Amino acid sequence: MPPVIDQKKCIKCAKCAQICCMDIFGPARVKEVPEIRYSEECWHCNACVLDCPVGAVTLRYPLPLMLLAKDAVLNSSAREGN
Amino acid sequence: MVEIKKEVRECDVLVVGGGIAGLMAAIAAADKGAKVIVADKSDTRRSGSGATGNDHFLCYIPEVHGTPEDFLVEFRESMVGGNSDAKIQMKFIARTFECVKDWQRWGIDMKPHGQWEFNGHAFPERMRIWLKYNGENQKAVLTEQALKRGVVIENKTPITEFLTDETGKIVGALGIDIAQLEPEIKLFKTKSLISATGNTSRLYPAITGGWMFNTAHCPSNAGSGRAAAYKIGAELVNLEIPNTHAGPKYFARCGKATWIGVLKDSQGKPVGPFVTKPTKELGDITADVWHSVFTEKNQNGTGPVFMDCSETAPEDMDYMMWGLKCEGDTALIDALEKQDIDLSRQMVEFTKYEPILIGRGIQIDENAATNVAGLYAAGDEVGNFRSDIAGAAVMGRIAGEKAAEYSLNAENSCNLASHPTVSKVRSFYTELMQRASGPVWQELNLAVQQIMHDYAGITFVRSETLLSAGLKYLHDLEKTAYKTLQCKDSHELMRALEAFDLLLIGKLIFLTALERKETRGMHKRSDYTFTNPLLNGMFITVKKENDAPRTAWRKSD
Repeated sequence: MPPVIDQKKCIKCAKCAQICCMDIFGPARVKEVPEIRYSEECWHCNACVLDCPVGAVTLRYPLPLMLLAKDAVLNSSAREGN
Repeated sequence: MVEIKKEVRECDVLVVGGGIAGLMAAIAAADKGAKVIVADKSDTRRSGSGATGNDHFLCYIPEVHGTPEDFLVEFRESMVGGNSDAKIQMKFIARTFECVKDWQRWGIDMKPHGQWEFNGHAFPERMRIWLKYNGENQKAVLTEQALKRGVVIENKTPITEFLTDETGKIVGALGIDIAQLEPEIKLFKTKSLISATGNTSRLYPAITGGWMFNTAHCPSNAGSGRAAAYKIGAELVNLEIPNTHAGPKYFARCGKATWIGVLKDSQGKPVGPFVTKPTKELGDITADVWHSVFTEKNQNGTGPVFMDCSETAPEDMDYMMWGLKCEGDTALIDALEKQDIDLSRQMVEFTKYEPILIGRGIQIDENAATNVAGLYAAGDEVGNFRSDIAGAAVMGRIAGEKAAEYSLNAENSCNLASHPTVSKVRSFYTELMQRASGPVWQELNLAVQQIMHDYAGITFVRSETLLSAGLKYLHDLEKTAYKTLQCKDSHELMRALEAFDLLLIGKLIFLTALERKETRGMHKRSDYTFTNPLLNGMFITVKKENDAPRTAWRKSD
């Protein structure tokens, strides 16, 4: 759930757990791959992704947060080829 | 029993919340020679609404804007200008540029294109007052500046109570250590305290319903400073006038003015009166000043409303994507990419977000002082002044200076270990931790949100009967939750106490909304539909007196 940690890349520095503004990892413990204890409290701020020294963290966005997009409508001048 | 840490931390100035306001306050107080501690519930390098960046800083430069009075006119008509005391706004204006220059010197890029550049949040043909900057590293830089001055930062330490002596002046604060699963109480002895805990999120249901941490501003900000200040007798102000934000649906984010596009309906017709072609200088200020357009058009069937960047010039599109990064919206950029959304040909639906308290909260004077001796406040939690990041920076600095001056002449001989609040909350926290069964904090938070939404929200009108019923329901909820809620670790204890803070603030919103017998902005009373001109510039305050809330009216200054 939201942050996904690549266990092979993780160097167990606990930086993500320490800096998380929502404390979703609970206590930061070095020498352990961080456990995501309170995943539903993720703000998706991306700090853990930005601060991981080895790029081991990615965010997964929950379905209710889906962005809604549709094709833009050409304005009148563009439609007339002006 | 929940243990109390043996060591009582001592300082001249305790800063509660290490966001922009808190760190600027700490730096200023340390520069004045005070011994300063910052307590932050997270880690000051990435905490609060400015955690990953910002890109607009309200700033007055005489050569650009003319007189401060000219600037004030534009400021008061902006999205952050209402419900404020002009004398605080004037004091703020005078010191904005000084803070901007310090930030630039410290390593925050305040002129990323080599000059002071004012773009966005702007009406056509009008003065532009928002300095475009790159705030990606702002929290790390301010943390470094605070540490350089000897400020002690206590991370993972939510402060839950402010402590006063028998004369009513500040003597300390109580927090919880959440660095371990087993909570411990931490005591802070201080001569002054600066409350800087940010906006209040999670009081109303998020646009994603039960997914309540999907908020534009930091969801960790749950009104703890407001609640703690109220409990020791501080005045809160302007709680009853709802405030909303707007942005992409369903991924709640700040940064609406960073988008360079035009808000349009499904047929491609602009919905606002301000712009028809997107430019980086203006953006579409409709999103700042007419949030109800999103709900109105959905309610009458002519929605949805979209942000259309398809006509944005390629160089302006690059500028926008760079701006979103400066604003800290890297997750939004990532989410757009993961969903394969191409802004050069697709529009993104925008919506109004749930009400939050920002610029509604603790009442200060122009020195950031409250009515409680030794208590100061700054940033998003102030009730009679608002200017978002710039307001936090400048008023944080002023709060730090004034709190330090106060502390250097103050005494504190209080023995915190025997303070009555300490034993009272210790027993309560212990009960919460020891209960084997009962509701969890999420239930309380959601229950508060649904009552706020249905009886003091913006979806339905407000009235004497609805507000009175909602207030009664909150009292009932509080009684039940107080007797039954359970927590299993320090994190849950923090969240449970936040939920109680939200409930308390909710009650004060009901009381002040009952008191304002008129319609004003999004405070829509079905029993008083008229906006009474005699109440223009009249603020409602609320404070605790003899253990009960008392409301009062005052003229804005």
